Amino acid sequence: MPKKVLIVDDAVFMRNMIRDIFTSGGFQVVGEAANGLEAVEKFRELRPDLTTMDIVMPFKSGIEATREIVKVDPRAVVIMCSALGQEALVMEAIEAGASDFIVKPFKSEDVIAVVKKVLGEG
Amino acid sequence: MNWDLSKYLALFVSESREHLDALSAGLVRLEKAGGGGEVPAEVVDELFRHVHSLKGMAAAMQLEGIALLAHRAEDVVGVVRALGTAPSAEVVDLLLAVTDALSEMVKEAGAGGAPVAPEPLAERLSAASSRLRGSTPTATAAAPPPAAPAPAGPDPEAIPAGKTRRLRVDVEVVEGSPVPAVRGFLVLKRLEGAGRVVTASPGAAELRAGQMPGRKLTVEVETDQPVAEVERTLAQIADLGRVQVLEVAEPAPHRPPPPAAPPRPEGPGEAPRTVRVRAEMLDEFLDVSGELLLATARLRELGRAMPEAGRRAHEEGLDRLQAIAKDLHGRVMSARMTPLTGLSDRLPRAARDLARRTGKQVDVVVTGSEIEVDRALLDEISDPVLHLLRNAVDHGIETAAQRIAAGKRPTGRIEVSARRERDRVILEVSDDGRGMDPESLRRSAVARGAIGAEAAAALPDAEALLLACLPGVSTAGQVTDVSGRGVGMDAVKRSVESLSGTLAIESRRGEGTRFTMRLPLTVAMQPVLLVRVGLEVVAIPVSKVHGASQAHVEALDRAGGAPQLAFGGGHVPVHDLGVLLGTGPAADGRRRSIVITDSEAGRVGLAVDQLLGQEEAVLKPLHGPLSLVPGLSAVTVLGNGRPVFVIDVPALVAA
Repeated sequence: MPKKVLIVDDAVFMRNMIRDIFTSGGFQVVGEAANGLEAVEKFRELRPDLTTMDIVMPFKSGIEATREIVKVDPRAVVIMCSALGQEALVMEAIEAGASDFIVKPFKSEDVIAVVKKVLGEG
Repeated sequence: MNWDLSKYLALFVSESREHLDALSAGLVRLEKAGGGGEVPAEVVDELFRHVHSLKGMAAAMQLEGIALLAHRAEDVVGVVRALGTAPSAEVVDLLLAVTDALSEMVKEAGAGGAPVAPEPLAERLSAASSRLRGSTPTATAAAPPPAAPAPAGPDPEAIPAGKTRRLRVDVEVVEGSPVPAVRGFLVLKRLEGAGRVVTASPGAAELRAGQMPGRKLTVEVETDQPVAEVERTLAQIADLGRVQVLEVAEPAPHRPPPPAAPPRPEGPGEAPRTVRVRAEMLDEFLDVSGELLLATARLRELGRAMPEAGRRAHEEGLDRLQAIAKDLHGRVMSARMTPLTGLSDRLPRAARDLARRTGKQVDVVVTGSEIEVDRALLDEISDPVLHLLRNAVDHGIETAAQRIAAGKRPTGRIEVSARRERDRVILEVSDDGRGMDPESLRRSAVARGAIGAEAAAALPDAEALLLACLPGVSTAGQVTDVSGRGVGMDAVKRSVESLSGTLAIESRRGEGTRFTMRLPLTVAMQPVLLVRVGLEVVAIPVSKVHGASQAHVEALDRAGGAPQLAFGGGHVPVHDLGVLLGTGPAADGRRRSIVITDSEAGRVGLAVDQLLGQEEAVLKPLHGPLSLVPGLSAVTVLGNGRPVFVIDVPALVAA
């Protein structure tokens, strides 16, 4: 059974791109969220195997959302989607419970490699 | 196996083989220590490391059969390590059998199979480890690990659950991974989740500041998790190239680590960084860099026809290009250099097996295995060296009883040594056995019609020993399953000579024999002497040439049939190279130069029309039908684009 993915990003373009990467990598994208608030709600509802999390988003940041998601399920796998120059934020997210991170620009095989590794499949 | 992993298969097979060879060599050393004897910690540590690596690699390749068998073997070695004494001969035998089985399984995996662990062996391993554990009930838990932070200590799995251990974790973030310090931070946080971090280098503050020299991180953590659990945690972090988790000294909660001790800036993490490439890729590089040299020479040739005005600048440019091409070629050559360990690790095991079968006692001492030679050379000399070793065990070394009667130690000694002399590598295989008898070799060679009785009698002893290399002479009346492996002394000599090397034999009756092979460090580039005969130009390896003479062939003494040239205090028979090559004798019946070179039956002269000079030639092997033509060994391309064959004089003269 394909692993379920929740994509969190405030940019539609980014969500589409990430969705393509996961779909072609054999994952099932079960939901999308455009901000941290929505992300936590969708997580409770969908219980995905994996959540990709943008860091800087309106209403609630990805770091805050990660902290809450891990509180809901300590085994939750959250991968931070970051860009160069966000190192400090990524470290903050790691302390908040993120499992790993990817750095833009994304290469689809790199993303899949990181994700599989984190899921213990790589 | 899924297709994703298949691209790693070749690498897995070659790396596994290295581990298995080293495992064999280590086990033979262990055996020497004798059951119950004290065993050097580093020998067992090495064994453990090899079998552990193999297990990990096989698991990564999803080759469960290999991983399982290696895991069981690791258990046994782990207990042996904790006990600190050499195991019985049965245990070593079992581990050697397992090594053989693993070799077969790796081979099968290499052919695309999914090998299954032989159940009886796996069971015997389990039984052996519980038996060993049982023999000293406290050993596994109580054996203090030797000097920290060596990869030592009791089998991690054998420690009672709940006990705290100190682990040293070394990780390296792969090159090209973005923001390595953040990844290091992630590792540190994961380890904090697993236990109490005692030291970390770099620490969290440095990582936050983006500092992670060499993309390396070393953390010591006290945890109740077993090594495997921590390894699993780290395995879920992406972009980690090297991960090593080792149990170090017992945790000492009341004694903080000495503040002065730097967090091990030296250590395994500082080993030179290497990548593995397919050996064929290096061959291709060598080919291309050789072509580059040839193309440069071709340009130079063309430049000679240029008008004076532009020629100077052209020449200068070419000089630079040639220097670069030569440099590149040299670097590719050095990248192909491989230590002899690849061969020498196999020797003790081969000798041991044969000694057992023949009921003899033999020690094998290998020196100089760190010497590096061209990879192609290593491939070519492996069989000859193994053959010489087997010969030494089978024919050289006497039985213990015979040795005692002769006033020798009951255990024979075979030394295999390698050393460098300038651009040559000297390989010697010597034994302290019964020695060879030049007289019986003379008789045998004469009886076989390989040489005339007079010629045989005239041979000095040193050369008479080489008669053993004539087909059928050495093995007469002593064919055993050992020497019957298809590689005789004649094949050994042929191999050595095809590499432009020489083989010498020294022997004293009752004292022993020494085989000395002098080989070039590389086989791909060799100086050759270019000669013209009629319209043909051919190359002769300079290493085979003893000299040249300007004598006219028709003026030579023909008393014995073939013309004889006085050379070096004796006479050598002279052959017309044109006749040997099948292009016919000289048009005017004259050749003006004679090259003195080696053949199977001693030195010969080759009559040619002209000596064109010496060149460093990039030798390319012959393929297809050309490789079947006797007398041709390789081809090279001259600066003017003309291909030239390198001749194999012994084969040519013998044909």
